[in-house]
Amino acid sequence: MIHAYRIAPWRIQRQWIGNALLAVVVLAMVAALYLNITSQTAVAGREIQELNNTIILSQQASSDLHTELASLTSATAMETRALALGFRPIEPNEVEYLVVPGYVKPQPVNLSSESLPQLSMLTIPPEYNQSLLDWLDERIVTSRGFQ
Amino acid sequence: MRQQYALRSQVLAGVMAFVALAIIVQMTRIQNSVEADVFRQQSENYAYELKTFYPNRGEIYDRNGRLLAGQTTVYEIGVDLRNVRDAHAIAFAISRELEMNYDEILGVLNDPPEGIAYMVIADFVEAQKALNLQSLKKALQDQAPSGSYGGLTGLQFNAHPQRSYPENTLASNIIGFVNREGKGYFGVEENYDNLLAGNSMQVLIPADPNKAFEIPKVPDGTTLILTINRDLQAAAEKLLDESLGEYGAREGVIVIMDPRNGELLAVATSRRMDLNKFWNYNTIYDNATDFNPPISKTYEPGSVLKVLTMAAALDSGTVTPNTTYLDTGSILIGGVTIQNWDRNPWGVQNMLGCLQHSLNVCMVSITSQMGANTFYGYMDSFGFGHLSNVDLAGESAGRLKVPGDSDWYPVDLGTNSFGQGVAVTPIQMLAAVSAVANDGRMVTPHVLYAMVRDGRQYNVPPQYAGSPISEATARTLNEMLAISLEAEASEALVPGYRIAGKTGTAEIPVNGFYSSFETNASFIGWGPADEPQFMIYVWLEKPTTSPWGSETAAPVFSEMAQKTVILLNIPPDNIRQQLRALK
Repeated sequence: MIHAYRIAPWRIQRQWIGNALLAVVVLAMVAALYLNITSQTAVAGREIQELNNTIILSQQASSDLHTELASLTSATAMETRALALGFRPIEPNEVEYLVVPGYVKPQPVNLSSESLPQLSMLTIPPEYNQSLLDWLDERIVTSRGFQ
Repeated sequence: MRQQYALRSQVLAGVMAFVALAIIVQMTRIQNSVEADVFRQQSENYAYELKTFYPNRGEIYDRNGRLLAGQTTVYEIGVDLRNVRDAHAIAFAISRELEMNYDEILGVLNDPPEGIAYMVIADFVEAQKALNLQSLKKALQDQAPSGSYGGLTGLQFNAHPQRSYPENTLASNIIGFVNREGKGYFGVEENYDNLLAGNSMQVLIPADPNKAFEIPKVPDGTTLILTINRDLQAAAEKLLDESLGEYGAREGVIVIMDPRNGELLAVATSRRMDLNKFWNYNTIYDNATDFNPPISKTYEPGSVLKVLTMAAALDSGTVTPNTTYLDTGSILIGGVTIQNWDRNPWGVQNMLGCLQHSLNVCMVSITSQMGANTFYGYMDSFGFGHLSNVDLAGESAGRLKVPGDSDWYPVDLGTNSFGQGVAVTPIQMLAAVSAVANDGRMVTPHVLYAMVRDGRQYNVPPQYAGSPISEATARTLNEMLAISLEAEASEALVPGYRIAGKTGTAEIPVNGFYSSFETNASFIGWGPADEPQFMIYVWLEKPTTSPWGSETAAPVFSEMAQKTVILLNIPPDNIRQQLRALK
């Protein structure tokens, strides 16, 4: 074996070249992976931004519609519409009261919702926003802290 | 030959190794240089952006879930000066759509202030106008040749919420308003400003796209549900407007409260403001007390205060309903002669007659017997001279002079007994008289029914302000007031319902003397007398058709009470008693 390498030293060079190429390939793969992850992250970040904008726009639209509905059903608007439809305010002597078994007088509104309470704390764990270098740095700092 | 190549290769490898080493050394040197710290600091400064997230202001509803204050989207319209392609087009479009001066806009665009990249042209622009401009910008961009820019390139639109009041002027005195800086003024908006505004949140957002971050969900400001009944409020405001015209009064107030728990159901004032145009405040109101007179404007209440004088006399044992006295038409107190409202003697009267005919001489007589300490002790317990603690901004405490004050004279004991020489607010009168309607317990008037936060509703329990009189005294006086109205055939009576109440006519001091022509006419009443569910206070300032409360405020009370029983679904007494018997 040794003899074979002695008579053909280019084998050693080929081995070096092979190792170097392997390293290049590995580096290229890591770079490609990194590029892929980075691009995916960027796309996801952009999508999150767009979704957030959509949420904000939806909330604004909902709020606008809610207020518009309140304007359309305001006391003045409803009275105007009622009069236009031929209604008139009832006179006290025209009111008839009927006893309805089980009738319960309307109670004030309850605006409680079944949805979960809004979150006000940040909840993303560090694994999702730490880079490898950040993680290494943290480990080093932590290990120093223990010493 | 091979050795020569080997040598060359080794030299080349050595050179490359040296270069690589030099690069590493240089990198290490740069990393640890003095300048590196500066650059590192700069990079950290740009690594994160501190962003503040503002919560949406809480909404305001009436007790039946009608929106009284919400949000609407408006736009900030600005120009990114680096991207402006056609300043003329931008100036022309904005001047046409927003009715602004073309030359001014063009001047600013052509010669912007030094060192700015973005300039706000207009803020709080209505959504429709902003959308028109956005459509125009898009159309011009679409028409532009491929690869070039549209005429409105550089024009930017930023949407943000603005407070909106869908009922416009309705209950403006209760709600108050929010200015463009987001600060609440008057009414609920000021009193609960911190709750409604919520808490903003500051978050560091990384510039590195690889670092995930969570946009905080900032909780909205607290939503408030008021005790106000929108339809009753609208009816009260409409009736008040009609009454001012009918009786020639300058100003007026109608307040409706549930005497059992202090919930204010309607607070109508004659001066109201479209809250969506709050900048008109100065043209509508002369001073801050005009915004919500029921809580901030003091006046001499006149004979409605006799209810409380009689309550004190009965509760202290000074008189009973059957106690009699001889009314000679005048009485001397503190060196001053006090006369009845008609300046006539009424002969022998008991306490029922005293209330029924609203006799000043009677009141002076019983307060003289009661003594100043007892009388003022009761008035203090009824809350005069103190804030009622109503949850609306701008409340006034009024003024009750007491023995020992530099400006108190013995005659004040007499005049105070029939409501002159004492300054109160309508809300104080309601709070005090609620003790009579509510079995001796005085309520704290309030407008907040519930708060909604994080999807949960928290109802506000009623608060009581003590028991200045006993339950027996309250019931006795309640009955006396109901009988006196019936016996008088008062214009305040409500068909089908037994009502208790009292009129008031107070002379207004003009240049240091009381005027017989300018009066404050008022009426306070509640019903149904045996189970009070509403208490109404009417105050008409300087009515011109008649100075008397019995001829102006009393009929307004009756009409308001008739609307109230319909809107609150309170059946007539006979039906209500039948229903009670069935239970």
